Amino acid sequence: MDCDAYRDDLMDVLYGEADPATARRFQEHQARCAACREEVASLRRVRRDLDGWVLAPRVASRVKPLLRPRYLAAAAAVLLSVTSGALVLAKGELRYPNGQVAFRVAAPAPEVAELRQLLREQEERHQQALLELRTAQPAATAPGDRDALLREVARLVHESETRQSAAFAAGLNELADRTESQRRVDFAQMSAGLSLLESRTGLQAARTTELMGKVVLASQGK
Amino acid sequence: MRLSDEELVEAFQNGDSSAFDQLVSRWERKIQGAIYRIVGSGEDARDLCQEAFLKAYRGLGSFKREARFSSWLYQIAVNSCRDRMRRQRGKTTVSLDEMSETGELPFRGDGPSALELMEAGDLSRTVAAAVRSLPEEQREVIVLKEYQDLTFLEIAEALDVPVSTVKTRLYRGLTQLKQRLVRQGIRSATPIPAPTH
Repeated sequence: MDCDAYRDDLMDVLYGEADPATARRFQEHQARCAACREEVASLRRVRRDLDGWVLAPRVASRVKPLLRPRYLAAAAAVLLSVTSGALVLAKGELRYPNGQVAFRVAAPAPEVAELRQLLREQEERHQQALLELRTAQPAATAPGDRDALLREVARLVHESETRQSAAFAAGLNELADRTESQRRVDFAQMSAGLSLLESRTGLQAARTTELMGKVVLASQGK
Repeated sequence: MRLSDEELVEAFQNGDSSAFDQLVSRWERKIQGAIYRIVGSGEDARDLCQEAFLKAYRGLGSFKREARFSSWLYQIAVNSCRDRMRRQRGKTTVSLDEMSETGELPFRGDGPSALELMEAGDLSRTVAAAVRSLPEEQREVIVLKEYQDLTFLEIAEALDVPVSTVKTRLYRGLTQLKQRLVRQGIRSATPIPAPTH
């Protein structure tokens, strides 16, 4: 008998989700199949066993009320003020761009995105100036004009070098910030891990002592 | 008048943030219980429950209401459990201590020692350990069906799998539990005594 074909029906019947047609179909099969009758009975027993797992009240305790939105806002305000205070002490900087909290430790540096935008604008101005210079210069320039042109080119080269240095410095700042943040996160995780290990070691020792006491009592027949 | 979950979701999406408070009050115990039974640690369950409700808070604004709110919430909770277990996989754990935090002992296929039996004290712990020894997918459906009383359809929505898959996992889970409980010496034919805690 192909009992596997009735497995879905069996589950529906076992959990009371069978519609009348399914229930009837399975009952008819079960009437002819001792294996399925035994299977249903054994699964009902397992379900009854599962009822024996009752959670201790402390496990089912409520979620900390801190989660609630109204508390979230208050907690966020407190956190922000504490963080701001700490950052002031650490000569840091707290920003809130685009709805995201961002902070920077040590000397404040221009936002990388802002800086890049400024550099882009400066580059455009220079391109425009070069274009104007080119169109303004006649085919053959006088010696005095050539000197002025060379000075202008030298100035543009200098500005370009300055711009590249600034971009490089901004990149380094960004990298330093990321490294520092990661270092702090790693340190916090390591501290938490050590604390957990310490508490577990203490608990293990207490449990061993308690168990030894029980063993001694058992051996004394108490 | 008690509003339905869906009405509260609508109120939240229309700007009434207190509606989320009501949803949390209504579901937090059940969600935390489910998470605890899946991950097996009271401390983790509290953290993951907080995490699940925070995710729900962030995502509720864009919740489409095509599925039930409860299924969506269970889906978030189960995914949080899976993420946590994935992160923990491969790490060394002090399982005896972990279980003792909540008064339960770990299950072992070769049977408990006399000392463990003395510690275990009651059958509730053995049943818990047997459920926790199941593969993750089977444990999830057992918890959602047996302890959260979800329908097959709700579980299918929460786990994003077909109903037939839910039934198959449940059947396999129950079958494995039957074998493990018998090995543990639980007499399935008789009712389980009331737990002492």
